[in-house]
Amino acid sequence: MFDFLVQRAAISVVTLFVISLIVFTGVRMIPGDPARVLAGTEADAAGIEAVREKYGLGDPIPVQYLRWVALALRGDLGHSIRTRESVIHTVATKLPITIELAFLSLFIAVGIAIPAGVLAAVRRNTLWDMLASGASLGGVSIPNFWLGIMLILFFSVQLGWLPASGFVPIWESPLDNVKRMIMPAFVLGTALAAVLMRQTRNSMIEVMSADYIRTAYSKGLAGRVVVFRHAIRNSLIPVVTILGLQMGALMSGAVVTEQIFVVPGFGRLIVESVFTRDYPLVQGVVLITASSYVLINLLVDVSYSLLNPRIRIGGTARES
Amino acid sequence: MSRSATAPTALLAQSPPGELSRLARAWRQARRRPASVVGAAIVLLFVAMAIGAPWIAGSDPMQTDWKQVRKAPTLAHPFGTDDLGRDTFARVVWGTRISMQAGVLSIVLAIAVGVPLGLVAGFYRGALDQTIMRLTDAWLAFPFLILAIGLVTIMGPSLTNATIAIGLGATPTYIRLTRGLVLATAAEDYVQGARALGAGDLRLMSRHVLPNIVSSLLVQATISIPVAIIAEAVLSFLGLGVQPPAPSWGTMLNTAQQFLDTAPWMAWWPGLAIFTLALSFNLAGDGLRDLLDPRDY
Repeated sequence: MFDFLVQRAAISVVTLFVISLIVFTGVRMIPGDPARVLAGTEADAAGIEAVREKYGLGDPIPVQYLRWVALALRGDLGHSIRTRESVIHTVATKLPITIELAFLSLFIAVGIAIPAGVLAAVRRNTLWDMLASGASLGGVSIPNFWLGIMLILFFSVQLGWLPASGFVPIWESPLDNVKRMIMPAFVLGTALAAVLMRQTRNSMIEVMSADYIRTAYSKGLAGRVVVFRHAIRNSLIPVVTILGLQMGALMSGAVVTEQIFVVPGFGRLIVESVFTRDYPLVQGVVLITASSYVLINLLVDVSYSLLNPRIRIGGTARES
Repeated sequence: MSRSATAPTALLAQSPPGELSRLARAWRQARRRPASVVGAAIVLLFVAMAIGAPWIAGSDPMQTDWKQVRKAPTLAHPFGTDDLGRDTFARVVWGTRISMQAGVLSIVLAIAVGVPLGLVAGFYRGALDQTIMRLTDAWLAFPFLILAIGLVTIMGPSLTNATIAIGLGATPTYIRLTRGLVLATAAEDYVQGARALGAGDLRLMSRHVLPNIVSSLLVQATISIPVAIIAEAVLSFLGLGVQPPAPSWGTMLNTAQQFLDTAPWMAWWPGLAIFTLALSFNLAGDGLRDLLDPRDY
């Protein structure tokens, strides 16, 4: 057990190291001279040189990398070129908005997917199953940005029920906040729900054919008891893993959704920083995104092995 | 010795009826899954539309007409016109080419890069495997779209670069899948047997391992292609893919967003086209999965 945790953590550290290398080289491959951008449009050659000197942009690349990592480990990711604010501070103001959005959509997704998935599995090959599977297929296939546009068209333009875009902090007006967040959360939630539903259905079907379920039935338990007390709990374990892996999809989704609904969150920050060539911001934001993905999945894996000792990984069971 | 020699011959002799029964099984499966057949048919329809765009579209997708700006659907313009008076139907039809090209070619690229890497990692294990897999882990940690946005930023926005970016974004999935399949297959008796008979690594990989994992890769491809099609639309929507005035569904939706209150039809059709194409691929893929993977889900 302990060995597994150490091994898993070691792999995560290596992954984080490779991520930092990719981010660092990637940002340096973006065309354009960062010193020129940092110095501003009015700077002359001497000004640019001064900036290059000041930020150590003329140093050998490995030196620059080590300096960047050393600072990053202390929580210093530099300053945005445009706003001059620290990257950490910028992220700290944007991230809560996206986290709220993610939680709302998670809520919607789980609320739809788990009951639908269980129903589809228990009433397998019936109309319910076909409806649920069909809806899931539709959810995977619908481009979320188009769904967002259609929702705006219907609820904002046609009916005038909901504001099409913008953001109000929850502490200023919870009602206005939810009014503006509900459509983006729904858009993000449907894609997630589609994947979760499928996973719930498959794993529920697998569990329902297990011996202990047959035993539960044969000792005369009611179908409802078997499903709720015995089957659901075990079938949700793989669903939790999928949830961890879906974090990346959720981030991708947030980029698009926040763009459409003009939500000033983390996803919009990524796009803005890329479009404005704000190198330190791009670097910091992408590093934080990828690192949190690794850490979340480490957490999921660890809690998974704690919950389910069968899958304690010797290297074979986890492959695929 | 003689027994083992006759066994393969006997199998060979049986192969024509075997082939027939496979066709019969496919037909049975197809009848059991009409939705998949419809999906496959619609995918083929889109392929035909992509090839026959010049004849189907009816009018030039780039032709602007200032007297026909943002006109609602009529007989002359069944899908209406856009903000520059261009025929939306023609643009949707031509957009099929771009979507198909980006969707299919990017996954071809992902397979071309990912499968050999996964094959080598799973076959040789050891340090090489570790290196490839740690790189894959790190690569996977970047959300697909963010990776694609980053790559397009580095390479510059265009259809080719968007296709490459989407392909590279999808590559780790294929590395992981292939490696997992190879690990399982390489342990099989027939591979060990072939090795004992003196087959070289290259022969083992290409003749014994690869053919046995092709069907799983094919199924994965039918899952990835619709994702790639949507990804191209998203990149174009963000202005990082196909550049205007070329007719791409994503760019069309980007423009349409500004005219939702006056010309909503501009947003209907390109989105509906992406949705239909992605859904058809998924339906067809579901059928293919049932056909190739007899496990009953």
